Amino acid sequence: MIKKLSMVALITLGSLTSCTVVKEYEMVNLNDPDMRLTSKKSDRFEISYQSYREAASGANGGKSGGGCGCN
Amino acid sequence: MKNLFIIPLLLFAVVFANGQDTSSVYKKRVLESLELDILTSYFFQDGDNAAVTGGIGTEELTDFTTDIVVSIPLNDDDVLTIDGGISAYTSASSSNLNPFNKSSEAYDEEAEDGNPDGPVTGSPWVASSGSSKGDLWIHATIGYNHSSDNRNNIYSGHISFASEYDYTSFGFGGGYARLFNDKNTELSFKANVYLDKWSPEYPIEIISYINHGENLNAGLFNGVDILDQNGNVIDKNGTKVWSPINTTLVENKNRNTYSLSVGFSQIISKNAQFSVFLDVIQQEGWLANPMQRVYFGDRDNYYIGNPASIPIYTSKDNKDVFQLADDIERLPSSRTKYPLGARFNYYVNQFIVVRTYYRYYYDNWGVNSHTINLEVPIKIGMRFTLYPSYRYYTQTAADYFAPYETALSTSQFYTSDNDLSAFNSNQYGIGVSYTDIFTGFHIGKLGLKNIDFKYNYYQRNTNFNAGFFSLGFKFVVN
Repeated sequence: MIKKLSMVALITLGSLTSCTVVKEYEMVNLNDPDMRLTSKKSDRFEISYQSYREAASGANGGKSGGGCGCN
Repeated sequence: MKNLFIIPLLLFAVVFANGQDTSSVYKKRVLESLELDILTSYFFQDGDNAAVTGGIGTEELTDFTTDIVVSIPLNDDDVLTIDGGISAYTSASSSNLNPFNKSSEAYDEEAEDGNPDGPVTGSPWVASSGSSKGDLWIHATIGYNHSSDNRNNIYSGHISFASEYDYTSFGFGGGYARLFNDKNTELSFKANVYLDKWSPEYPIEIISYINHGENLNAGLFNGVDILDQNGNVIDKNGTKVWSPINTTLVENKNRNTYSLSVGFSQIISKNAQFSVFLDVIQQEGWLANPMQRVYFGDRDNYYIGNPASIPIYTSKDNKDVFQLADDIERLPSSRTKYPLGARFNYYVNQFIVVRTYYRYYYDNWGVNSHTINLEVPIKIGMRFTLYPSYRYYTQTAADYFAPYETALSTSQFYTSDNDLSAFNSNQYGIGVSYTDIFTGFHIGKLGLKNIDFKYNYYQRNTNFNAGFFSLGFKFVVN
């Protein structure tokens, strides 16, 4: 299962990197602060509370289990 | 597990198979000037399933947090970040480590000869005035980032420290990110280690029983009647008496966490980009919370307080009787978590952006979870943006979860912490952001660049709800 997922991921990534390249001068919209692929700094509290109150954590740039007595 | 570590290695191969970015790049400072973020939040919650009182009782809690983040450009390529904060909370359930209407000092060895005045009572539905009703959590992190001249290689490292009255944490980590394909693609790797330690606090009846040689006429129990399920006072010197099932408490106070993260992001078009990220988290040590009680369904029940309230123990009308714990929660000393997340953002037009997030999570404690988040920033004029958002979360129960009075004493592991139960939740949020890129408002040398405000309402399908406000200010030094 993991091997199959790895292969799918590799093929997908390989094909994506050969997509049409957006040049830096064409990235005006992508550089909009709301287009960032991370959470805002002020979202850190929301992520922190969720990691205390829910069993799942991680894969969101926030806490994933260490540094607190949370789940 | 082992195979998962193959993925990062294969991804490394993809990165370098794509060749080196040879384009000459204008070298812009990574961070133009010093930035100061002041972030605050206020959180409140309530529910009916407090873990400290064995899965039944008030979960009322408030928390006020302030963080300050200073980002300092050391030169064109390097940024030092200092991040510190303090969190002050009050918790009704934590206060019920000692739920009784006498301070814990009254039960100390020195005071054990003195009988408390008046009847001793307590309730899982009433916050106690005990010392554990509130605490401070402080944390500090120092981080360092270095970017290569062409900005295609970013190296990072950090150390962290956190402390609260029953818990301390020391952490460190590092990361590497590589941009290629004309910065259309980014691959990143992170590793973090947290070396944490409990200073365990226990339910008062259990620690008093152990500290006083299992004597029901000393400590907490000195001069205090213990009642059976029918409300009758038991003979403390008889054979049918209350006792915790296990007098061995936390043996290994360490709680270590090791995490590896792999992230991949890709620009799809001039208006769309996505990222996927996988974490593998391994935790070792004492993973249960020693404050949290468990009541077994296959053992007799015993109480301290008003016998008339025993039949309504699980009702909020119970204000004056408290059930003695059978044990603290027990959980395996190892846990492996696999969260897999993805984001997709789409720039609709100059007014609207769509931000989406999905996470699948599973761990070897039997928890499976899905998280979906949607946020649609709407720009209003040049300076204001509205942030309506919705989040749906669902999880299955951990293998060891048992609600109040349903765990079995024959089990090796058990918890009545409803955060490990099966539930789903909906979260509705609205935020507003003010941005002034020209920093017209000044406090001394600090120019105000941004203000963020957000309110979220969180509701589970299990009688639990919460709300949180956050407010953030970003200043830059002009």
